[in-house]
Amino acid sequence: MRIIQDKINEAVSTIMAYGGHGIRNCVQCGACSAVCPGVRAGFPLLCRNLIRHLLNGELEEIIEDASSWGCQACNRCTEVCPQGVRPQEVVFAFRRYQANQLAFSTSSVTSQMNLFETGHAVYTDPTEARKKVGLPEKTPTSAFDDQAKQEIQTLINNSPMGELGLF
Amino acid sequence: MAKVGVYVCHCGSNIAGVIDVAAVRDFAETLPDVVVARKDLFMCSDSGQEMVKQDIRDGLVDRVVVAACTPRTHEPIFRAAIEKAGLNKYLFEMANIRDQDSWVHAHDHEGATEKAKKIVASAVAKARNLEPLEDKFVPVTDAALVIGGGIGGISAALELANMGHKTYLVEKRPSIGGVMAQLDKTFPTNDCSACILTPMMVEAYNHPNIETLTYSEVDDVSGYIGNFTVKIRQKQTYVDWSRCTGCGDCASKCPSKTPDEFNMGLSDRRAAYIMFPQAVPKKAVVDIEHCLHCAGREIGTLPKINEKTGRPILAPCERACPAEAINRSVAYDPAGAIKEVEVGSIIVATGYQVMDKGWFKEMAPDSPNVITALQLERIISATGPTEGKLLRPSDKEKPHTITFVSCMGSRDEHFHTYCSRFCCMYMIKQARLIKEKYPDITINMHFIDVRSAGKGYDEYYTGARKMGINIFKGKVGGLEMLPDDRLRVLAYDMEAATGIEYESDLVVLATAVELPQDATALAQKLGLQFCGSNFFRELHPKLGPVETATEGLFLAGCCQGPKDIPDTVAQAKGAAAAAAVPLAQGKVRIEPIISEVHAETCSGCGICIPLCPYHAISITTYADRPRAQIEMSACKGCGVCTSACPSGAIVLHGYDESQIFAQIEALTA
Repeated sequence: MRIIQDKINEAVSTIMAYGGHGIRNCVQCGACSAVCPGVRAGFPLLCRNLIRHLLNGELEEIIEDASSWGCQACNRCTEVCPQGVRPQEVVFAFRRYQANQLAFSTSSVTSQMNLFETGHAVYTDPTEARKKVGLPEKTPTSAFDDQAKQEIQTLINNSPMGELGLF
Repeated sequence: MAKVGVYVCHCGSNIAGVIDVAAVRDFAETLPDVVVARKDLFMCSDSGQEMVKQDIRDGLVDRVVVAACTPRTHEPIFRAAIEKAGLNKYLFEMANIRDQDSWVHAHDHEGATEKAKKIVASAVAKARNLEPLEDKFVPVTDAALVIGGGIGGISAALELANMGHKTYLVEKRPSIGGVMAQLDKTFPTNDCSACILTPMMVEAYNHPNIETLTYSEVDDVSGYIGNFTVKIRQKQTYVDWSRCTGCGDCASKCPSKTPDEFNMGLSDRRAAYIMFPQAVPKKAVVDIEHCLHCAGREIGTLPKINEKTGRPILAPCERACPAEAINRSVAYDPAGAIKEVEVGSIIVATGYQVMDKGWFKEMAPDSPNVITALQLERIISATGPTEGKLLRPSDKEKPHTITFVSCMGSRDEHFHTYCSRFCCMYMIKQARLIKEKYPDITINMHFIDVRSAGKGYDEYYTGARKMGINIFKGKVGGLEMLPDDRLRVLAYDMEAATGIEYESDLVVLATAVELPQDATALAQKLGLQFCGSNFFRELHPKLGPVETATEGLFLAGCCQGPKDIPDTVAQAKGAAAAAAVPLAQGKVRIEPIISEVHAETCSGCGICIPLCPYHAISITTYADRPRAQIEMSACKGCGVCTSACPSGAIVLHGYDESQIFAQIEALTA
């Protein structure tokens, strides 16, 4: 790896612009990665290691990596971070960058489509399970409410997500 | 007519890099009464000073203005120079065009140059009105006070005592020794802490020039350098120390148990107790807060009489004492006694505490097998709760896996942003001592990074790796309690960029070093200030590391900032040398820049008296009338009385009305 200051500056300002304001506070202590369920599950570029690569200016080099979509948004990293980096915000900022560059992981497309079609990012048909425990089969949510679904689709189509051409 | 000389300093590029020095010099020449204006690369250099001196010797100038840096560091230098040339040294004024101008306006060269001209004009206006003043001297009490009886306080006291100065050593606990007395061995040489400390404790206690006052606290301090009056409260021990032989029989019979502070709560002590086996002085105290008053033996009451035997019914501690040192019939004053001492200088060496594990909720603080490093120190110490056997608290079994966690509360914006400096080294020490004794134990150490700056320190650290101690870069994120009192460690290996998860029997937290809470009360009594890290503030971070803003008051050891034993001893000896200066001189100089009352103009209204922050003003009788009077040696020249006096009867020398109005006029011209 070569150290190219312009690339470092670009990576840092990009992440900051997407909401990862604390990236420069990072001292690479690794506490975030110690508690991250994504790191535990084997995603290589989350928390400490993602920040390291970004601080090395490797924005383009890692753009296709799917690790960021493995973040479960538990926010434990933010709780244990001693320097106020808010690592989850950095992960999300990198995701936003990836999305804007149309660098979606296949794992994320399903949830985007779910959101568009049902209003839920994670969706399984609840009918059978609900019937079994004696609940009404339909949930009182957008999944069974055509008007709500339509409103969500209108919102998505009119947001930057609509411009991605997924739907 | 005053003849003012103005000397403008470049201060290398510090000033000249921003301010047009030549323009300021040209401007100075046009000011009233200015007879000469010069400039130099460094006015404080020999050649710069010589320029001023020559002008004085030639009779060219009789008032000197130097436009340069801060009077805090450089005023004494220039005053000395003009005094050498034969001019009264108070006929000098400094214009600070660096700290207050070029440094703060680095991006506005033109504006900074204009501001410099104003500052110089104001200084010249004052200089024209300066009057010669004379230094005053007061005698010094040849004695010193050292507050805190840890290794810092003991080192400082011994140093002062060996120089021949009477020294009072005050310690709030029953014994001197401090935290060092609690340690097992010390890095990087592994000497036994007690073996090197105890002889010093004994030497200090028996030194003819040292008066050791343990179980005592400073109650009140008044006065000033050379002449402090200190009230020391000797807390009530409820034991006659002149009789107590330190046998410990009272402690063995006392039924009341309370957590032992010396063992960091890992064991109990009794209400009647001796602090630790090597205590100096080895005397018992009765901790009345935890005393059960056995047999109804309230302090100061006569015992009940046994009807059968006709003998008094005594408490177990009284009965046990073979020296008759415990007599609960004596009406001891619970407030103890006040001892008043006069000293010329004071050294504060009050030490530190480590943070409690309870702060770190993610580190399973409720588990008995999560301990602080100071607790581990007690566990591996021969005088500790397990007599030196490495047993974990929950079941008194030997642990198979031990985890060390660094930076708990240090380098953490939620607690303390500073590095506690010696945790890396003592953790490595503890790991090495354990590995040496029990090679079969797995030791995992987790650091953000290892900080081993010091003589022989890095070799000590790399030695730990060679011994087979596992060292990981990466901060531990959390601990989880497991059913059998084991702990799941959630860690991270930064070099391999992979998570680490394992079970451990004992987890040691290196919690941050901080000032104890009672330090705030002491700071208020002494007039100490705090730094950004909430330790006591030294006069200058580089050049005044043992001095404070109060003359005659010095700092040593961890109360000034985290430091290990070698650094504490070095600083303590430095503080002792600095504290001995006024004692050796026998007198202290009082700057003449203090306030004085003109008795003829004073109406005796007394408004100034409660306003004076230094209690320097009193009422006296002058020509049968009440008049204010200022004690020269107590006045610090703050000027509060001067500005408050409705009759304008108080003058602050060096800042009188004509001088201040001239400055204001020049600044607003």
